[in-house]
Order: sequence, then C-alpha cells, then structure tokens
Amino acid sequence: MRRITIISGHYGSGKSEISANLAIQKKIDYLVDLDIINPYFRTRSLDKLFEKNNIHLVESTVKGMLGSDLPYVSGEGVIPFVNPNITAIYDLGGTENGVRVLIQFLDRVKDINEIDFLCTVNIFRPETSDVKSILQTISMYEAVTQLKITGLINNTNLIKETTEEDIIRGEEILKEVSKKLNIPILYTVVEENNNQSYKYIFLGERLVLTRYIAKRWL
Amino acid sequence: MSKVLMKGNEAMALAAIKAGCEAFYGYPITPQNELPEYLSKHMALHGRVFVQAESEVAAINMVYGAAGAGARVLTSSSSPGIALKQEGISYMAGAELPAVIINVMRGGPGLGGIQPSQADYKQITRGGGNGDYYLYALAPETLQEAVDLIKEAFDIADYYRNPVMIAVDGLIGQMMEPVDLDREVPKWDLTPKTWVADGNRKNRERNVINSLYLDPNDLENHNLHLKEKFDDMRKNHQRYELVNMKNAEIAIVAYGSVSRIARTAIEILAEQGIKCGILRPITLFPYPKKAFHALPKTVKDLLVVEMSTGQMLEDVKLSNECHLPVHFFGRVGGIIPEAQEIVDKVLEIVGGEKHE
Repeated sequence: MRRITIISGHYGSGKSEISANLAIQKKIDYLVDLDIINPYFRTRSLDKLFEKNNIHLVESTVKGMLGSDLPYVSGEGVIPFVNPNITAIYDLGGTENGVRVLIQFLDRVKDINEIDFLCTVNIFRPETSDVKSILQTISMYEAVTQLKITGLINNTNLIKETTEEDIIRGEEILKEVSKKLNIPILYTVVEENNNQSYKYIFLGERLVLTRYIAKRWL
Repeated sequence: MSKVLMKGNEAMALAAIKAGCEAFYGYPITPQNELPEYLSKHMALHGRVFVQAESEVAAINMVYGAAGAGARVLTSSSSPGIALKQEGISYMAGAELPAVIINVMRGGPGLGGIQPSQADYKQITRGGGNGDYYLYALAPETLQEAVDLIKEAFDIADYYRNPVMIAVDGLIGQMMEPVDLDREVPKWDLTPKTWVADGNRKNRERNVINSLYLDPNDLENHNLHLKEKFDDMRKNHQRYELVNMKNAEIAIVAYGSVSRIARTAIEILAEQGIKCGILRPITLFPYPKKAFHALPKTVKDLLVVEMSTGQMLEDVKLSNECHLPVHFFGRVGGIIPEAQEIVDKVLEIVGGEKHE
C-alpha cells in the first residue's frame, strides 16, 4: 500500500465505507474527508470511531457541523502531502465537482509514486455498468485532476442481495478495464457477513467490509 | 431489466422518466439536489424538458402552465421549498391540474436543517395552501416502493386532475438500495385530456383553465365538485400495510423511514417475547382509517412513532375513535429514532399498564 491512497468513484460506489474500513484495517494516520457533494452518509460522521482508532480525521474547517451543507475543506488536508511521515486516505465526493476539490493539494506532491489514485466501481450503479462507461468515468477523473488512476476497487454489490456471482461479473468487466488501462484491480470488497461463504479467489486483496456509516435498518 | 443500485433521489427521478414525465421544473435545495441534477442530464437525453427555474414560486407556476398544456409534469423540493410552492399548488388544485410533487423532507420550521424529518405532515395532509382542497399523498418506505408509487402517481394525478404529493424524508432521498425500475404498476383508467389549453382548437370550443370564480354559487358548486374527488379518494383509495399483526398486543403506527426502524424494533421485541405489529400508512391523504378497523382484537395499545413532535397523532386518534390508548414517541430536528429507543418505549407501555 502506498503512503497516500485517494479513493474516487461515482457517488454511491462505496468510497466512504471503503475509506473508513481501509483506514481502520491498515492503521492509517489521516483520513481526509473531501466529500462536499453528499449531505448525508459521510465519513466525517464516524469521528468517534476514528478517535478510538487513533486516526486523525480531517473534515470541514468548521468541525462537527454535519448539517452545515457548506463546501468547506480544512487546510489540514495538505499535511500528508508535505509531511512524508504521515500515511493518509483521501475520501473524495462523487461527481466531477467532488474530484475537483483534490486539485488544491496536488501542487504540493513531492513524489507521485507515493500516491495511489484508486477508482471504486460497482457495476450495479447505472453510470458504471460496463467497460465503456467505466472508462469514461476514469478519463473524466483524470482530466479534472491531471492525475492518472493507478488502480481499481471492485465493489460490485446490491447490498444485502449481493451474490458471489455478482462480484465475479464485476471482476470480469473490471479485468477488461484493467487490461485497457494497464492498471491492477487492487482490492475486491466483500461484506463481512458473506466473507466466509465466498470461496472464489478474487483479484487483488480481499477487503472485508464492515458497514459503519449505513445503519442496521438501512 | 434486472436490479440496479441507486440513490433514492436518482431512483425517484428515473421513475418519473419511466412514467412518461415530459417536463420538470424545480429549484435546488438539500437533501433532494440529486433529483434535479439527474434529470438535468437525463431529461435532455430522453428529449424532454428540464428547467431550473429562478425560484420555487417560478417553478410551480411553470408546472401549472405545463400541466395546463396537457404535459405529464414533475417538480421536487424539500420542506422550505415546498412551503414556497403552496400558492401554486393551491391554484393547481383549484384549476384541477395534475402534477406530481416530490417532497424530500428536512427539519424545520423555517430553514430548519438538512437532516431528515417528517415535520411537513400537516402541510401535506391538510392541503397546504389556501382553500378547500387536498393532495393525494403517498409515503413510501423503500426505494422500490418509491419508484413504483411515483410511476403510478402520474396516473393518479391524471385520473383525479389533482396534484399528487410523494412524501419522503431526506433519508429516503439519500440512501442507496437495489431497485427494479421496470416493475409493473397498476394502470389507472384514464380518459383523453379534452380539457387542455394546448392551442389545438380543431373540433372543440375554447378551454379555460382557471381557479377564479367570482359568482359564489359557481364557486360553491366547484368546491362541492372537488369534494367529490376527495371523498372518492377517502372511500376507495386508502392504502396501508399491516405487519406482524397476528396476536400482536401492541401496534406501532409509523410511515416512511420510521417504519423501517420499527421493523428492526419489532424483531428485537420478538426476541424478548413481545408481539408487536406495525400499522404503516402508505397514503397520508386519504388517511388509512380502514387499517384501524382491521386491527386484531389482541392489540391493546397504539404507539405512534414519527420524526416530528406528533403531527400524525390527530389522524391516529380520529381513526382510532377512542378505542385504544394512543402513545407517542418522536425525535425531531433531523435526529433519527433508534430502534432501541422504540423498543424501550414499547416495553414501558406493555410493562407499565395492566390489560383486561
């Protein structure tokens, strides 16, 4: 895992849950929530969980204002780019505008090889359901940030209705994307309740996901 | 088509396109912004009309115009924005114009907050604007139900020539769930729109669309004609769901997101040996009075749970007709009730009172 991981993807692709899970499992120093698009279901709502796990949460300039709906991003977001001793995960907002927030930090990048810029894909999201639309999404993110996507996350799911075959289908599509762009599938996401029952060896590391943000009754 | 994973606001927008919605007019407000955002792209792709108006007032009057011209038309907003639209909605009910209005409710009063709420219940169920009218109001609890009801809502609006309100809270707008957009929904028996002002004057007299009646006798007749429609809704089109009512000793009355939480609560209660059912109104107007008559005799208490300070209580009490004790639990301001809080309230009721 590189020192900095930036998680992109269409909204609803699972960026925030994945960011939170990676930060906790990999004992990352900083979780930077750059999501100014979504008003609900953001990683910043997990402040207590991160505190317990010694993860420093960077969110709005006005901390704890979950209901503010203001597109503020704390200047602290730059720290992992300038301090080479800090590991970080950046959780972007969905859409073109969500990705744009990242640009303000990129002129501080010292070594591009320290950064993974990942794209999360769920083929059940209509905007990323096939190779063509995924390639379009990726090239849009690259055009906005001037940064190459370095890897893919297969997060194919229908929440509780997900089957092993669904994830394999997602992998088949992502394999083509992977081949076309010459980038690897770095993670395949499997929900913790299904982890034991899925015997298939998925490409990339198996990221066993706990849903922290979506509550039990969702 | 098989299932896709969608965000509530997107799914509702796509459902409208599937229902043949020809025009959308709206103005941004959280937590429903993804709905117009989605339509701003996809209405154009389907060769239909999308306009971001200069205000909510402008938007609802554009809806009035498009409906008058015979189009299937949609607007959406969230609580304060819906409040701004009330004048136009009242005019539409008066002029008998069909439209679908989606309210993704947030906390109030005033600007309130952006977190989910059900505090527009009274505004939704009592007409909302001036004059003697009601909106047919549907309150889905899942994205699939939201999609199905929106598809049907355009038919209902056309059938009654009256606005239909889809009442959801911010949570339904923002959450993700698998949905099948192509599920069959009931088709209503619709007649051609011979009343429209579409500029086509061949073989017909001039059509006038208006809510102004200066002769009180005419206005009284008009009001009585409207009342017939609302009475027909009350008589024939109440909708509700009864969940887990067999031998239930207590029933939770809850709609929308809150009924989802209630479903978790009754599972926890079942583990503790308490039989608790859910009476879930699907239509908020007409209020599903019939559901209360359908409750089994084992039910000894009603617990109303809402994300408001108790706006639905009056309807429950009117429907219950002093039959059972009515209790209440609510969270407000954008706080979502926890399943455990509902469980605790139920335990307090069933443990604290002697039956028989």
